[in-house]
Amino acid sequence: MFTKPSNIIGLFFILLISSITALAFQGLIGFSQRGADLALLEDSYFHSILLFSIKQALLSALLSTVLAWPIARAIYYYPNIFLKQTFLSLSLLCFVLPTLVLITGFVSLLGLSGFITPFLGEDWSLYGLQGILLAHVYMNLPFAVRAMHLQLQSIPDSSWILARQLKFSRWQRFRLIELPSLSANASLIFGFITILCFNSFAVVLALGGGPQSTTLEVAIYQALKYDFNIPEALTLAWSQFAIAGVFFLLLYRSSSVPWLSKDSTENIWIPNIGKATKGIYLLIYTGTFVFMLMPLLALLPGVLAANYSVDLIVDVMEALSLTLLLGVLSAVLAMLIAYCIMLPIRSAVQRRQRRLQNTLQWLANHTLIAPAMVLSVGLYILFLPLIDLDQLGIIFVLILNTLLVLPFAIQQIRARVLQYDSDYALLYQSLKLNLQQRIAIEWAYIRPVMLSTFALVLLIAMGDVAIFSIFGNDQLKTLPWLIYQYAGSYRIHEASFASAILLLVYFIILLKIERAKQHA
Amino acid sequence: MNKLLTLCLATLISSHSVVASAATDTLTVYTYDSFVSKYGPGPKIKAAFEKDCNCEVNFIAAEDGVSILNRLKIEGVKAKADVILGLDNALMFDAKETGLIADHQQDLSALNPTLSWTDSQFVPYDYGYFAFIYDSTKIAQPATSLRQLVDSDAKVIYQDPRTSTPGQGFMFWMNAVYGDQTNAAWKQLASHTVTVSKGWWEAYSMFLEGGADYVLSYTTSPAYHMIVESESKYKAAQFSEGHVSQIEVAAALNTSSQPALAQAFLKFLISAEAQAILPVTNWMLPVRKDTALPDQFSQLITPKLVELSIETAVAERKNWIKDWRSSAAK
Amino acid sequence: MLDIQQLQIQLGDNQLNYHQQINSGEIVTLQGVSGVGKSSLLLCIAGFIKPVSGQISWNDTLISTLAIERRPVAMLFQENNLFEHINVLKNARLGTANIDDDAIFAAAEELQIAEQMQKMPLQLSGGQRQRVGLLRTLLRPEPLILLDEPFAELDNQTRSIAANWVNKIARAENKTVLLVTHQMEDVETLADRNWLME
Repeated sequence: MFTKPSNIIGLFFILLISSITALAFQGLIGFSQRGADLALLEDSYFHSILLFSIKQALLSALLSTVLAWPIARAIYYYPNIFLKQTFLSLSLLCFVLPTLVLITGFVSLLGLSGFITPFLGEDWSLYGLQGILLAHVYMNLPFAVRAMHLQLQSIPDSSWILARQLKFSRWQRFRLIELPSLSANASLIFGFITILCFNSFAVVLALGGGPQSTTLEVAIYQALKYDFNIPEALTLAWSQFAIAGVFFLLLYRSSSVPWLSKDSTENIWIPNIGKATKGIYLLIYTGTFVFMLMPLLALLPGVLAANYSVDLIVDVMEALSLTLLLGVLSAVLAMLIAYCIMLPIRSAVQRRQRRLQNTLQWLANHTLIAPAMVLSVGLYILFLPLIDLDQLGIIFVLILNTLLVLPFAIQQIRARVLQYDSDYALLYQSLKLNLQQRIAIEWAYIRPVMLSTFALVLLIAMGDVAIFSIFGNDQLKTLPWLIYQYAGSYRIHEASFASAILLLVYFIILLKIERAKQHA
Repeated sequence: MNKLLTLCLATLISSHSVVASAATDTLTVYTYDSFVSKYGPGPKIKAAFEKDCNCEVNFIAAEDGVSILNRLKIEGVKAKADVILGLDNALMFDAKETGLIADHQQDLSALNPTLSWTDSQFVPYDYGYFAFIYDSTKIAQPATSLRQLVDSDAKVIYQDPRTSTPGQGFMFWMNAVYGDQTNAAWKQLASHTVTVSKGWWEAYSMFLEGGADYVLSYTTSPAYHMIVESESKYKAAQFSEGHVSQIEVAAALNTSSQPALAQAFLKFLISAEAQAILPVTNWMLPVRKDTALPDQFSQLITPKLVELSIETAVAERKNWIKDWRSSAAK
Repeated sequence: MLDIQQLQIQLGDNQLNYHQQINSGEIVTLQGVSGVGKSSLLLCIAGFIKPVSGQISWNDTLISTLAIERRPVAMLFQENNLFEHINVLKNARLGTANIDDDAIFAAAEELQIAEQMQKMPLQLSGGQRQRVGLLRTLLRPEPLILLDEPFAELDNQTRSIAANWVNKIARAENKTVLLVTHQMEDVETLADRNWLME
């Protein structure tokens, strides 16, 4: 375990990212000269935000997974459904959409004078729990659909052939084939979304509608920023870390290695569906499509109203280049690190070292759980007096973005490489392949997943504002930051224009990657 | 892709060289982000000051006023700034406790007497009154008092007092008007509050998208629409109880290696030249009494001040936030 | 000589014991009822199963403590011998850097799979896949060959072609072969000795 060089590299990275988190906490604790403020744990305010954080997270995840299921079935059983690839790309776009763009879209659709609001009755309000759930479902439901669809697709054709031959009823097909293929991963999907929503920040602040909707992450922000109350922030941060961390552990313990098959190139034995079912599936599918498109289309009127000038275009293009550069660097780094980190985890899986595997996985993914605000502020406090952050801040933007997208990269790659090992570990070891050969063969196997994961983490990294707001500097602006700046100086239409450009670039990247995957 | 990379690198290198080319003295100013943005006052202020000072102004922008203060607390005596610009009259007290603020040594006789400014460390450079903005094509009879607004069922957006200075100002305002009854007033207001946003622009852009009848902003906001967009439908509602003012301030740090230059910059901020720039870039009112303003400013309301001691308000802030937290929750 | 000394393997609740010497260049068939531990032994020699006790040596060198990659062993598994995502020829080239494509094609010709070389594994029948695996395992440079039911999916005619080919290559290259089979016919065609496990 600790002898193979490849494992050592992976362990080194796990150690590195863990130390960065430890440093961040150290930064906060060291500065305040005090640990957490434990009195807060007895405060009823603390209890109410804790309950609310958990409630909204569980509800968001439940809605997303339950609703995703019929949609995923619709695309799976209706293989020639129209614009299927576009639908899947759009799903990914929803997941990575910068929240500021999403919220603008929702407000123009469902806000007080939104296009749809008149049809929703007197009592409708976008703000509050319903708004939070809506935005969380918008981002996570399509993600769940994609994941479930992938699971269904990996049902081997031979299973369907067998089902035919054994004359399975619909119920048997569902219980014996479909359900087992989904259930292993459904809990993972549910848990992943729960953790994301538990740590949700921008959406809650924008659509929460008042102090009744405060999550732990929001409370940390408020404590750190406006009161500069570090002990309070630490208590909140530890609580969040503990709850999300335990949840994460439970999740990974209960999940088995994904139930996948070797790549079946053909899916010709998927059961046929009747006319009525087809109609229902078409309806579900079209409905989802419209749901995903609406907030994006709602941005258009704002775009048309912008004051176009050469200046605006130059600024937007400059910011876009920096966004792409930082995003690509972060994404490449995250992919490399994620791959390296999986090496010791894979080796632990093969040796059935369950506890070691869980520990490594937990550490590797901990930046998903750790409050992002604490990470960035802690490092800021620690390094501000030591180095010239005004010049070097951009490096921290890069490092922190890499850390924050890393769990997404690991989450995506994990299933595929574990599958590869479970099918081929004996083979590639017994063949005594050299490193180059091993990489070449494995790359051919994981390439499609690597490409789509790259796109995913690239887009998430490109959308960052939170980290940039702390470490960025004024000479170099990313596009999302420029959008904030426009909006912050009354230039709402310019902000819409910049948002639309960002969105367009997102969509182009997604389409390119889909195409590259198909040629893979 | 290669071309793009080259372009990116070129951008990186060129903007670095701007920073590196400082041949003369550099005056470092901590300020907030929207001040230095392209449409903000930063670029013009910098150019105007550099014309005569034989120096270079280097703005370092934090996210907002609170972030400037936090940075100061973190850095202590290691702070790079010669001048901090962008705190307000509420944050000012906290900043003084760092012990880093130098006296301003400025003659403030040209300032508008309504400010009655007496502080010996901070220099005000612009100010504004918090006010609710509405669209006059939709609302013919706007609320004329805060009580009227609270008792109405008009859809309102305001900012979170925990994360935004307008939100905090509004909290002071509510407490100044309602005193002991503030909790009940918060409850009443919550029944027709659309949302409480994190910061000013989230609220304001939601309002512009038609998300509310009233949004908390400044009396000067309509001037922006009139001057930049030739749009006069947005107006500020004048409340009979009076309004809360926000005074933006600057100060020199006593750790500065260039105290004379820092003082010169403070002097420049309240000069006629700088004062003429600020209203149409920062969209606040000038502090100098004789500043010529674009005509549109004369159409703005001129509210009186509500009775409020800012020191008391700052001291009570934490308790008021707790009250708000429990009362404004739906 | 392959020397298996007091080897113990844990298989579920059962403990399996082995003690055997096999001479270099010998072809030994392994027979026995299912579950008796034939595959486990091969996997243990190849390094995939850790023995509870005992040791395995090859030409007086202890190999049971070596890493999988360093053992002088080429093994054909019962299944999963081919990477599904690369074509058959590329699969055949893996681990056979010692020989060129001509030798691969010559062997493929003899095993009647030459036409399949450019296809993807999924397009092959079970018997064809098995022969690709067999081809590669025998052509690899390692002196010790472990074959786990290598002819299970072959028809009688192909079976004898494959068995004869194995015999020919193993003798020519002086390979030591351990081969698990249920067919007496294989024992007759190939084996210098039959190891009946109980």
